[in-house]
Amino acid sequence: MGERRAGAGPAPQRVVLRSPSREFPEAGVRLSAAHFKQLVVSALRELHGEVGAALSVDVLTYEEKTLSAILRISSSGLVKLWSALTLLGSYQNKKCAFRVIQVKLYLSISPCIIWEQ
Amino acid sequence: MAVFADLNVPASPDRKSLQKLLEAAAHLGYSTVAINHVIDFKEKKQEIVKPVSPSELFPSLPIVQGKSKPIKIVTRLTLVVSDPSHCNVLRSTSTNIRLYDIIAVFPKTEKLFHAIDRGIYFEVLYTPAIRDSTMRRYTISNALSLMQICKGKNIILSSAAERPLELRGPYDVTNLGLLFGLSESDAKAAVSTNCRAVLLHGETRRTAFGVVYTKKPPRPDEEEGVLPVRKKAKTEA
Repeated sequence: MGERRAGAGPAPQRVVLRSPSREFPEAGVRLSAAHFKQLVVSALRELHGEVGAALSVDVLTYEEKTLSAILRISSSGLVKLWSALTLLGSYQNKKCAFRVIQVKLYLSISPCIIWEQ
Repeated sequence: MAVFADLNVPASPDRKSLQKLLEAAAHLGYSTVAINHVIDFKEKKQEIVKPVSPSELFPSLPIVQGKSKPIKIVTRLTLVVSDPSHCNVLRSTSTNIRLYDIIAVFPKTEKLFHAIDRGIYFEVLYTPAIRDSTMRRYTISNALSLMQICKGKNIILSSAAERPLELRGPYDVTNLGLLFGLSESDAKAAVSTNCRAVLLHGETRRTAFGVVYTKKPPRPDEEEGVLPVRKKAKTEA
């Protein structure tokens, strides 16, 4: 007889946004990872206010050369983040565009206890 | 794979910038793009010019990313009307109007809205929201009221991008539809299915003006005897 019981709590879902080619028309624009995070938060604040800026966004990877990144956010905040990135027209008086390439949904794994008799 | 279309790309006399826009649209995955010519009647007399044929503008069309076909270009005319008399042009026999694939009306006053119904789609532009923050507020509030009134049906989302940087990919625009209050299926339809319906509606406007069908009158029983006689006559002749 086997029995399986899941660990405590519901599994929160994480969504990963891969958004490369953040395009700048003029070449030679350098952005550090911290700047990039600040850019994302300011985009959220511009569109969704303080509530948007308070969403926890993680920058998982960031490549300075191609200006591409993988972002992670909870599934409830996906629409807000995605729309904020889409509608971002300029940053520090420079025109730019976000192009989202891929959106993946991940279920985070909650610990399971399996025992057999 | 759904077919995405962007039905509003302003026509500019600069051919190079238009070419860059089309390449960006093809790269993002749009299968069809409509080049929009805007005619405003408030200014001094404007003629409805013949649309520049896409094939002579661009000898080689860029290939759509994800498909092997080149991007399709259709022509569109937008009439900015502030007076019901301007609508008479639509009924006129101007031959140039028939050359456009899609016709759009941009009403400037409220009383013109009552003239809009019957299989017509409403368009929401998203590029003003990218350019300016006050326009962003207006765009979103207008879109929300539009969704309330027409319950999310018959809506298309398009850009009025003048630069390639103002274009957004089809799935990004679908997400914007969610922001404007559409449901998920409606938002995706706004970029794909409804656009195709607009193109088909434009085609029917140009080709089919009405339907004629013939119906055989019901034959009463007493006339059945006549039939064999007729048959005989045929074989004799």
